[in-house]
Formats: sequence, C-alpha cells, structure tokens
Amino acid sequence: MLQTAPPHAKRHHGGLIGDQPAPPPQEAARLKKSKRDQTVHPGWLVAPASIWLIVFLVVPLIGIVVFSFWTPVRGGMTPDFTFINFGNFFRQDGFFDPEHRNFLKLSIFITTLWTTFRFTVTVMVVCLIIGYPIAFFLAMQVKNFKWQLALFLVAMVPFWTSYLIRAVAWLPMLGRRGLFNKMLMNLGIIDKPSSFFLYSEFGYTMALAQLYVVLCVGPIFFSLAKIDKDIIEAARDMGASNFQVFREIILPLSLPGVAIGMIFLFVMLMGEFATAVVVYGGKTSTTGTVILNYYATANYPFAAVNAIMLMLAMMIGVFFILRVVDIRKEL
Amino acid sequence: MTMPKKPTLHEMKTGLSRRRFVLTTAGAAAAGTMTGAPAIVYGAETIRTIGLGVSIINQIQSRASKDTGDKIRGQALGYGAMVGKMLNQNDQYEVAEGYFNDMDVLVPAKVFQAIDTKRIKDWDKVSNLTKTGRLTPGSSLGDGDAPFRHLWVDKDANPTKGPSRYISMLPGWHNADSIGYNPEETGRKIESWAELFSPDFKGKVALVNAPQIGTMDAAMGVEAMGLIKFGNKGDMTRPEIDKLIAFLIKKKKEGHFRAFWETFGQSVNLMVSGEVAIQSMWSPAVTAVKAEGVPCIYASPKEGMRGWHGGCAISARVTGKKLDAAYEYLNWWLDGWAGAFVARQGYYMSAPESSKKHLSKEEWDFWYLGKPAAKELTDPFGTPIVKKGEIRDGGSYEARFKNIAVWNSLMKENDYLVKGWTEFLSA
Amino acid sequence: MARWTPRRTRALAVKTGFSIYYVLFIVFIFGPMIAMFALSFQGRRGGTSFPMRGFSTYWWEKLLEPSSIGDLQGALARSLILALVVMVITALFSTMLAMAFRQKFRGSNLLFYTVMLGLMVPGVLLSLGLATLMRQIGIPPAWWSSGLGVHVVWTLPFGFLVMMAVFNRFDSRLEEAARDMGASEWTVFREITLPLILPGIVAAGLFGFTLSYDEFARTTLLSGEYNTLPLDINASMTQRIRPTLFALGTASTLFSLCLIGLFIVVYTILYRRSR
Repeated sequence: MLQTAPPHAKRHHGGLIGDQPAPPPQEAARLKKSKRDQTVHPGWLVAPASIWLIVFLVVPLIGIVVFSFWTPVRGGMTPDFTFINFGNFFRQDGFFDPEHRNFLKLSIFITTLWTTFRFTVTVMVVCLIIGYPIAFFLAMQVKNFKWQLALFLVAMVPFWTSYLIRAVAWLPMLGRRGLFNKMLMNLGIIDKPSSFFLYSEFGYTMALAQLYVVLCVGPIFFSLAKIDKDIIEAARDMGASNFQVFREIILPLSLPGVAIGMIFLFVMLMGEFATAVVVYGGKTSTTGTVILNYYATANYPFAAVNAIMLMLAMMIGVFFILRVVDIRKEL
Repeated sequence: MTMPKKPTLHEMKTGLSRRRFVLTTAGAAAAGTMTGAPAIVYGAETIRTIGLGVSIINQIQSRASKDTGDKIRGQALGYGAMVGKMLNQNDQYEVAEGYFNDMDVLVPAKVFQAIDTKRIKDWDKVSNLTKTGRLTPGSSLGDGDAPFRHLWVDKDANPTKGPSRYISMLPGWHNADSIGYNPEETGRKIESWAELFSPDFKGKVALVNAPQIGTMDAAMGVEAMGLIKFGNKGDMTRPEIDKLIAFLIKKKKEGHFRAFWETFGQSVNLMVSGEVAIQSMWSPAVTAVKAEGVPCIYASPKEGMRGWHGGCAISARVTGKKLDAAYEYLNWWLDGWAGAFVARQGYYMSAPESSKKHLSKEEWDFWYLGKPAAKELTDPFGTPIVKKGEIRDGGSYEARFKNIAVWNSLMKENDYLVKGWTEFLSA
Repeated sequence: MARWTPRRTRALAVKTGFSIYYVLFIVFIFGPMIAMFALSFQGRRGGTSFPMRGFSTYWWEKLLEPSSIGDLQGALARSLILALVVMVITALFSTMLAMAFRQKFRGSNLLFYTVMLGLMVPGVLLSLGLATLMRQIGIPPAWWSSGLGVHVVWTLPFGFLVMMAVFNRFDSRLEEAARDMGASEWTVFREITLPLILPGIVAAGLFGFTLSYDEFARTTLLSGEYNTLPLDINASMTQRIRPTLFALGTASTLFSLCLIGLFIVVYTILYRRSR
C-alpha cells in the first residue's frame, strides 16, 4: 500500500520539488556537478523525522494491524489469529437472502463509511467555495505580508479555544432560544423560533465548514501568493479580461494549494467524531464514532478493523486527489 | 454530631494552601525540625487515583491527604479515557474509582487485585445493597450488572458465585437514573418510561447517546408500552435487540428525537434552553436545571429506575507500603466525610450511617429521607441548590433503591448492541 | 496623486467587495463564539445556556481560583508548553523534509505516504498502540514524552504539506548563483532560502501549535499522570459545566487577538528599523 509509486515518478526529472525552469544544457551539467558536491544529502534532512515517525507512528501502527487479527474476548483480546473481525465488518446477517429484511443491504459499517465519505465531500465543496475567495483576497488584494499574516491569524483564533468549549457554545447560539433565532426574529425574517439550525443536516454541514474552512485557506493562500504579479499584468496588457486571467493563469497555478487544502479537509472530516454529537445531536454515525464505541467497551480488534478501513479509504482519497492535481509534479 | 462546614470560596483557597502546608511540613520533617506528628509525614506515600469527576474532586482528595497523611493525587478523566486507562495501564494508578458495570471487562483482564474485607474497617457498615442485592428485604434485585453480581471474588480476583472474604471493588457512591422532564412543557405528571415515546412530545425528546445505557432506557419505555417483553433487560438477546432497534429507527424516522446527548452538561443545556421536554437524565443534572431557574422534575416511573454503582478498586500492581496506603484511602472513603460530600451532590454512599455523622439533620432528612428541606441547602462548593421546602424527587433512599428495574450493564451481546445502535443513529 | 481612472475605480470596488466578504467570513468563523462571549458574563446563578440570569464577572473570577475537578491552570500551562514545543519541532521537521524532497532520493514515496499516515490514523488507536508498546518496554507515558511524540506525528503532515506548497515552483536560480559565488550551503540557506520560505515556516509552526493545543484523542492514554487542557476539560464534562469554561474560551480568544495586535506593532517597528 505504501510503496505505490506515483505514475509520474519516472518521467519527471530532478527532485520531487523544485520544478525549476530548465537551464541550458551546459549549465545543467555544471549544476548537476555542483549539486552533487555541495548539497546536503537528503538522508540527513529526513533522518530525524523518519526516526520520530518510526517510533511514534509506524511501530504503533503495526500494533494496530496485528490487533485487528486477534480474537476479542471479555477484558481485551487474545493473540489467536482470526479473520473474524474483518468478516464482521463486511458480513451482514441475511445478505442476499430474499426472505430476509437485510436482502441486498450492505453492512452498517460499510454504509457508515460511505455516509462519512458523502458528508466529507459535501463539506469539502462548501469549504472550497467559502475559502477560496478568502485566500484570493489575502494573496491578491492585501499587499503587505504583515497584514496578510495578521488577517490569516485572526481567522485561526477560534481554533485556539478548545473545541470542547466551543462545542458547548453551539446550543446557546443556534438553539430554539439561541442568539441566531432571536436575531432573525428581531429582523422580522421569521416569526417563531426555528429548530432548523441546530441538530439538522444543514446545521451540521455549516458547523463542519465553519470548523475546518481555515485549513484550506492556508495552502491556497500560499500557492496564490507565489504567482508572479507581472504575468497577470502582462496578460491584462494583452487585453485579457479578469475572468480570463483567473481561468487561464490564477486558477491553474493555485491548484496545488487547492489540492493540499482538500487533502487536509478530506482527512480531517473523514476522521471526525465530535461535531456530529454536539451539533447534529448525535443523529448520525461516522466511522470515527463507531471506532470510539468499540474502543470504549474494549473490543480493540474490531475498533482496529474499522480504523484500518478508514485509513484505507483516506489513502485512496488522498491518492485520488494527488492523481487529479499532481502536486508533486507541480512542486 | 458535628455540624457540616459550609465550604466557601475562602475554604477552597485554604484547601490549596493546606496542600501546600502538607508539602512544606514534609520538607520540614526531612530537615528534622518537625514538631507535629512526624510519623504520619514520614510514612507518606503517594497514591494515584483515577476516575470520573463524580468522585475525583480536588476537595475530596486533598481532604483525604490531610486525614490519612498520605499524598492522594486524583486524576479526573472522561469515561472512555478512564476505562481505557484502567484496562491498559494499571501501572499508572494505585486506586481506580470505577463502576460495577465495567467489571465484566476489568475483572477478566486481571488489572485489579482482590480486596480483603478483613482490612476494611467499616465493612460491616456497608449496606446490603451491594452484598445481597437487596437494600431492604423486600427490594427488587434488578436486571443486569447489579453490584452484588460482580462484587465477590476469590483471593486471586476470580469471580465467585456467592459471598467471600474478598471483593473486586469497594462499593462507594451510587444513584438511580430515570427521566427528567419540564412539567410546563409536558403538561402532565410523568409516571412511566412509556412517556419517552409518547407522540405528544414528538421532536422534544432526547436519549443518552451511549449504546449500553440508551438502549436500556428505550427498553424500559418499550416494555412499559407493552410492545416487547424482555427476558432480561440487562442482558438482551439478539432478537430482542433487533426488535428494539427496529422500533427506535421507526421513531427516529418520524422525527421523534431532538437529540442524543453525551455529557452531563449537554443534558442540562438541552433542558434549560427548552430544546427538549423530556429525556433520559441523571438526578444531579435535574438539580442543576432547577438551580438555573427552569422547572424540571425527576420522574419516579412505576416500572422502576436504572441504577448504577461506583467504588474503589486497587491495581494488581500495588504492594507493600503503597498497598497499606491504598487500603487507608479506601477506609477513608467509608469514614463518612466523603459520603457527606457526595450526598450534597445528590449521590448516595454505600455506608449511609457513616455519612449521617457528617451531614446536618436538615441535609440528612432531605437527601436520604426524602423529607422537605427545612432550610436552604447548598452543594459541596457552597452554591445554594435546594430551596427551603423543596422535596427530593423520587423520594427517600429506600424508596428509590427498593425498586431498581435494571442496573447499568455490559451485555454479552454488547458488540451486536453497538452495531444496532449505529444502525439506529444512522437511520 | 493618481487620477481616478475607470480601472482604478473598479479595482477599488473589487477590493471593497472582497473586504466585506472577509468581514462576513470572520463573523461566520466567530459565530458560535458570540454566545460564548456573552455567557461568560452570566450571573452567579446562571448556566451555560440562555437565558442570562443577571450579569456578573463571577465566572471570570473563578477562572483564577483552583478548580474543583482537575487542575485548570496547571493543565493550561502544560498544554501551552506542549503546543509550543510541538510548534518548534513541526516547523523544523517540515522544513527539513521539504528541503530534502526538492531532490529525488530513494524511498521518497514511502516517506511521503508515511508522513501522510500520521494524518490518517485514528487518534485513540494510535494512543492504544503506543501505550501497549511502552508498557511492554516498561517506559511510563508522560505528556512531555509520548504525548509530544504523537502530537508531532499528527501535526507534521500539516506543516510538511504547507512547506510543499511553499517550495512549489520555487525559483532556485538565486541559490545557484550564490553557490557559484562560493557561498557555503549553510550561508545559501540562511541568506537566500530562509527569507523566502519564512512565511511558510511560520505557517507550519502555527498549524503545529493549533492542532496540538486542541488535541484530545491521541493524548488519552499517553499523557501519563498529568492531564493536558483538553483532557481536563473532557473530565469536567462528567459534572455540571459552568460558565467558567466560557470565560476561559473568551479569555484565550482575547489573548490571541492581543498577541496578533502585538505582532503587527513589533513587525512594523522592526521593519522600519531595518530600513
């Protein structure tokens, strides 16, 4: 799974980052030489992080994979190799039995993973629509780096209040007697309090967008900020309309940032388990909540199976995003 | 009888300085200038205890430190984190303040050692609720993980059928949960679990979002409606779970439920802000709602309540002096001060007579006997929570625990139950 | 003064439009916190939802006193220290990794996806896996050791991807020119590369700080005997919650905004001086 080589790995020259303008041939030869002579070997640069990841990620992860094949018993698990946990993930009593109510019904764990995925994609689209103009504003309209950073930081401030605290504040904000309802009633938009905003799919989607939109603003901002303003000026001088400039220059050049932002959002939202409880009143299940429920009653093998399936789905999603926008080629 | 002190903000501050005092005296003792009771200070062991915010409260552990002369360090955790830590890291605590419904997992895992009742000074004062299952001879036993079914173990902490010299956990604080409702919203007195599913309250109902407890509350309701008859609500069979979940899904699709809450605070907020009219609720949460000026009644359903019981267990890793200190802490819990403290929060203690010594007559009458409050009563932190003349919903201690229908449980079919609950929430 | 050409007017209109959108965005982002601000001034007898029962600074005063469950001040200090250390390590590791990824090296794909895995692995299970391992070896977990370990695993992918975006289409001709003039690799990095990528490093560090400060699931079994702030708040949720939490949230928000203001002032002064 890990060793899947991206298809571009062979045809791309040079490093994975640094798609530099191709130098003239004789200079290229010299560069190659100087690089070999002088550049710090990447091994030294990646060593500390690699060791850290092996200790704190790879080894525990191997543990999780091993657990998923162990037999759950009361009070934990025993190291008896079994596929039953994976079987339980997929199997559904009465599947393909025309007499049974579960005929052609997929296992609830697959359905949950699918629901989680569907919600994730919806929220990603919402975040992109809300967040892109903000990144555009910060990169293109705000000229000074100081203000760019300051305005970005302001958008990050809510994150510095623990989400457990923010979570409690949703009800007084969006509830029947909440501020939002009061405001709408004072404005005369509605005449009686609505229960639509909280514990609804709409409220849930907006809450997730509100929580995570900042994650995609950052990377998009960085790729936009790097666009050479001269190119845009040149295009304008040649008579390109604003829309053309955006479509032909800005949008393509910002795609790596969009892709990275989407990776953040995809992974965060797929793993989400807390917001559903608070803002949706627990009226849905995500794979994250399933993992927690089995973890809480010490069925670690089955929690591990769900975790592995979730990671697999995330991996496929990330891989897919990287296929659509090849950030590593762009880099 | 000692009058209870009313802890104030001032006392909370002195509570801190008292802890600091213990530390400085320990230092002084080491320097050889101690004139007080050096034996206590010299023998000081550090006892790490973990549990929920129900029993791990700074005032409790610092008082215990003062009384026992050891350093009792509490670490409060959320439920999931607590069970995870108890199960996987018994080298990280000496005492575990757990709950009997988790014993099905914790006892086979051998993370605790058997507690010798001979070393529990007030063992005879512990009521029969946990020993035989009946608080009074006429009480019901209740389905599920009643404490008496998990209490007795042998010397090696293996479960035994009947009474023994050894126990898995020293019984401590407990309570019975039922339904909380706002009488102005419901317009009538709620006397049955069936009301949870009454179409009158459609869209204004909440359940607790924990598969193990939520299904039990639902089962009480469905059985009271006469729809499903359960063999044992504390240990349902697969067909029973299937039927129950199917019913719940139907109700959910009708829009019957407003929300499913997970924390104490959420349940309080749901009621205070008028989102729900009736929901499964914990007794202190009802008290909290009332303290915020919103009418809320804690129902005493005729079918009985759902009980739960906590206590102190000792990690299997503890030996020697630390073990002595751990026993000392356990003994301290039964001594009465802690019992009085939790009583003011609305919980009961396994040795009620000891708690009585540390409660005022008015408090004892209100919290334990179910009589009207003779004066305004406060919670253990000094905040007034009970108005003069108020009566505790659910009546006296005896009345409550005479009629426990079911205890919080971990069923044999738990995995299947969680699966069903997932289907319900996703529907 | 430049003339008001139609193009300038239009540019100004666009800019105004975007500014208004930004303000709306901030309102959206801060939305749920408005109730939090208001309720932090809840009266003594009030709770964590409306109606307000009077107006007081009682809960703000409570913030400074020892809490009854957990240890709010201590947990806050631990979380801040942890977040700051995570911030530094994240910034450092992401920069080093991204620098390395500018060249082709063996195993780079494997490393890329391993870093990404840190983002994907469910927190409670990572914490269970590592806790089990540590128990086997006999090392007790603590928030500053194992806690720090998994926090960096979690924040590194964010910082790394941000740095990837920064090095995207990075013009290395300047660096080459400096090398040709005989500058050492370190000088090149310090004088040329670093100033260019500094905003990215700051952003990577900020992601590290933010995500670590808020992290809960990964810390459950790995914080040892002392709770971090999210663990402490989670523990207090088993009891009645008080507007003290809202005072804490409001205080941290105001504090952050002040820090940003301070940053602008300091930056302006430094910038002037350097000119």
